[in-house]
Amino acid sequence: MATTTLEPRTAGYRRAWVLDWLTTVDHKKIGILYIVNSFLFFFAAGILALVVRSELAVPGMQFLDQDTYNQAFTMHGTIMLFLFIIPVLSGFGNYIVPLQLGAPDMAFPRINALSFWLLPLGGLLIFSGYLFGGAAAEGWTSYAPLSNRAEGVGTDLWIIGLALVGTASILGAVNFITTIFKMRAPGMTLFRMPIFVWTILVTATLILLATPVLTAGLIALFIDRNYGGSFFDPSVGGNPILWQHIFWFFGHPEVYIVILPGMGVVSEVLPVFSRKPLFGYKAFVFATIAIGLLSFSVWAHHMFTTGGALFLPFFSFMTALIGIPTGVKMFNWLGTLYRGKLVFSSAMLFALGFISMFLIGGISGVMLASPPIDFHVQDTYFVVAHLHYVFFGGSVFAVFAATYYWFPKMFGRKLNEPLGKIHFWIHFIGFNLAFFPMHELGLLGMPRRIADYADRPDWVILNFMSTVGAFMIAVSVIPFLINVIATFINGEPAGDDPWEGNTLEWATTSPPPPYNFDRLPPIHSERPLFFLTHGHGHAAERPDDLEEGAEEDAEHRKGVV
Amino acid sequence: MQPKAPHSRLRTIVRIGAPLLLIGLLSGCLLPPDPKTDAAKDVFNLYLLVLALAAIVFIGVEGFLLYAVFRYRRKPGDDVLPEQLHGNNTVEVIWTLIPTVIVFTLFGFSMITLGEVNAKADNPTTIHVDGFQWQWTFRYEDGPSITGTATDPPVLAVPVGEPVRLVLNALDVNHSFYVPEFLIKRDLIPVGENGTPNELEFTVSEEGTYSGQCAEFCGVAHADMTFSVEAMSRDAFEQFIASGGATPPPAEGDCSTTIQLAAVESIQFDTDSIEVPAGEDFCVEFTNNDIVPHDFGVVETQFNGDDVAPGESITYQVPAMEAGDYTFICTLHPTAMVGDLSVTE
Repeated sequence: MATTTLEPRTAGYRRAWVLDWLTTVDHKKIGILYIVNSFLFFFAAGILALVVRSELAVPGMQFLDQDTYNQAFTMHGTIMLFLFIIPVLSGFGNYIVPLQLGAPDMAFPRINALSFWLLPLGGLLIFSGYLFGGAAAEGWTSYAPLSNRAEGVGTDLWIIGLALVGTASILGAVNFITTIFKMRAPGMTLFRMPIFVWTILVTATLILLATPVLTAGLIALFIDRNYGGSFFDPSVGGNPILWQHIFWFFGHPEVYIVILPGMGVVSEVLPVFSRKPLFGYKAFVFATIAIGLLSFSVWAHHMFTTGGALFLPFFSFMTALIGIPTGVKMFNWLGTLYRGKLVFSSAMLFALGFISMFLIGGISGVMLASPPIDFHVQDTYFVVAHLHYVFFGGSVFAVFAATYYWFPKMFGRKLNEPLGKIHFWIHFIGFNLAFFPMHELGLLGMPRRIADYADRPDWVILNFMSTVGAFMIAVSVIPFLINVIATFINGEPAGDDPWEGNTLEWATTSPPPPYNFDRLPPIHSERPLFFLTHGHGHAAERPDDLEEGAEEDAEHRKGVV
Repeated sequence: MQPKAPHSRLRTIVRIGAPLLLIGLLSGCLLPPDPKTDAAKDVFNLYLLVLALAAIVFIGVEGFLLYAVFRYRRKPGDDVLPEQLHGNNTVEVIWTLIPTVIVFTLFGFSMITLGEVNAKADNPTTIHVDGFQWQWTFRYEDGPSITGTATDPPVLAVPVGEPVRLVLNALDVNHSFYVPEFLIKRDLIPVGENGTPNELEFTVSEEGTYSGQCAEFCGVAHADMTFSVEAMSRDAFEQFIASGGATPPPAEGDCSTTIQLAAVESIQFDTDSIEVPAGEDFCVEFTNNDIVPHDFGVVETQFNGDDVAPGESITYQVPAMEAGDYTFICTLHPTAMVGDLSVTE
């Protein structure tokens, strides 16, 4: 760690700019690497989405053949999930968690660097199928025995790449958990941690428990494909349903791996721009833990139509139960807005966008928990709509909220607000235009993953709307990119605390120095910085806040908490 | 109370009515097709109930969100902190109960409907459905066996108003039998020698033709796996079975040129080029060594031979062709199984 400070700086320690970034173990630089890398994959997978939507704009095959189409949607799903949403949220976690805990760095800086560098490697391997006769084309779920029988090395590269990305995730999770339990500043008890840190903690635990299961399944699939294994191939005694169990035992917690940090971001942004604390902090923490626990008992709701010996009532019931803690969170956010003084910055707009869009994804999720309804809409565009309202309407909105919120901390300059609002509105309208019609398409019976569809007037108009929406989303990225570039050239200086933040990352300079803090403010609650700025006036209004904190502090010193 | 001025009452009506109308229209668009089986009617009613619950939650939350956005804007220059409300246990308990009641209601009604959807009849008409890359075979007990082609999807004939049981078997990878107007699908899983295939039962309530297609992604030509269900009276159904029963006998080889051709594992021909003489009939001795049905056809002349089940063979007599380059295919797998047929003088 901070050993270099003991010696005078010499020229030998100064590394070239590129070498510095390539070899850094600083959590902030690694965080930025994560985020930049993830956005590059986001653009690549976004282009694939446009390819898919263009082919589907009107019925008939226009400019792709079926195999190319299948590769496009497979790569789109895989890259978006495994190389954009999960890593970009890990990136924000990397940058922000140590700062919010008042820590100098992550617990294992070198493992941190390793877990980042495995990502571009894994991602490029997955993509490299295109160079060797075609990428994987079995869908991001890669169901056996289709994946057993798929020809070509694209699928093998997909397996190896994903195994690497999974390993990166596992290493990152160990690092987060250790950091959160061992690196908190004095006074930062578990129930004073910012909600974002809580969500990262639960997420990391889910990753640690779920991802190894996927890795094992991937290895089994690799053995089946290359060494004559018989895990999943029924013609040699295997069981194709086993793959679905393994995949979704990982795959459902994975949904929460993707959404929980997004919820964390929103729970940071809403209070700051409402100038109020999060309503029901502890309830929110318990709801997060409850979602994490329940997420391991619902995987087979992805398999309702597979028949067999599946006991539907159990999985249906557990899935419906997840609606309860999620509903609690929804109310907590609304309670935070209630009688607040709302400031509509770009970050706040994206956070509000998250709430309104994730709600729709949550509602359709509860609908899908009902087996008879699922029998109808499973594997149709209704599910595609649902998952995009959760992943895109939820997580991606949260990613942009986080970008606008924390950019000033990372680079010392604020992103341009008018451009941010233009970005938000095109993005928001385009998103709904692209994905809302898919609900109806699914209800009408259009299956997902088909390269061509029946020439029915209702399907055609809904598909065309969706394609227009997809291109609007693509257009919305332009003001965002202009904004980022313009801010680097000539952005408004941010200062240490541009938003009147609540949490410790705003107590240091923007960008923070190596090892983050010269000194820390006293930590008596989950909003140490709020007390630093508003301490007196606030304490006079509601003295119990401070006293409550002080009491807990005393208990903590005695070792009760 | 002072009566409201008419224009303000109108405004109130518009204010409340317009969003409700919008949501009504929106959810009016969010309906599945008219249900055409007995069980589908129950599913449709369950869906309406769930949609109503969803609409209440949607209006409640989005409504409050919009209200908050307009009501609690921070005014320029307002530097007074709002009340720092940390929580309220009573309120939090109540709003934990709201989603609890909703999901329990949903679960209860779902289980009732699930029982109806999965109900088994005593003496259903049983039809075997085989799914393979990328076609369907419908096999009737004591009746014909019908396989479709990419250009001519197969028709599943069922008697109307009677329980029908489908035995769903996949020959290679997973498929899913889906008819949107029946509001149900069930997967076809390759279960191997000892497995039990899935079954699906339904009673079609109205005569008519209903389109369906494979709903589980199954590889390259997944999108081509369409079919239709034709629900007909009992008499018409029996006639259908009687008339379609016999598969025509294999053509007798009476030609001077005979070509050997075989279909092999994973949807391929054993060769991708064939040469035959022009101006005379020729024979193709076709053996199917794959695990799914195949046939032999010529694209340009639209010759389309009978399907050959796995492990069987057949001899096709192909009418004489002029010299030139042609393409032969398996009409069941026109994208994957293609070869050059050169006809020479």
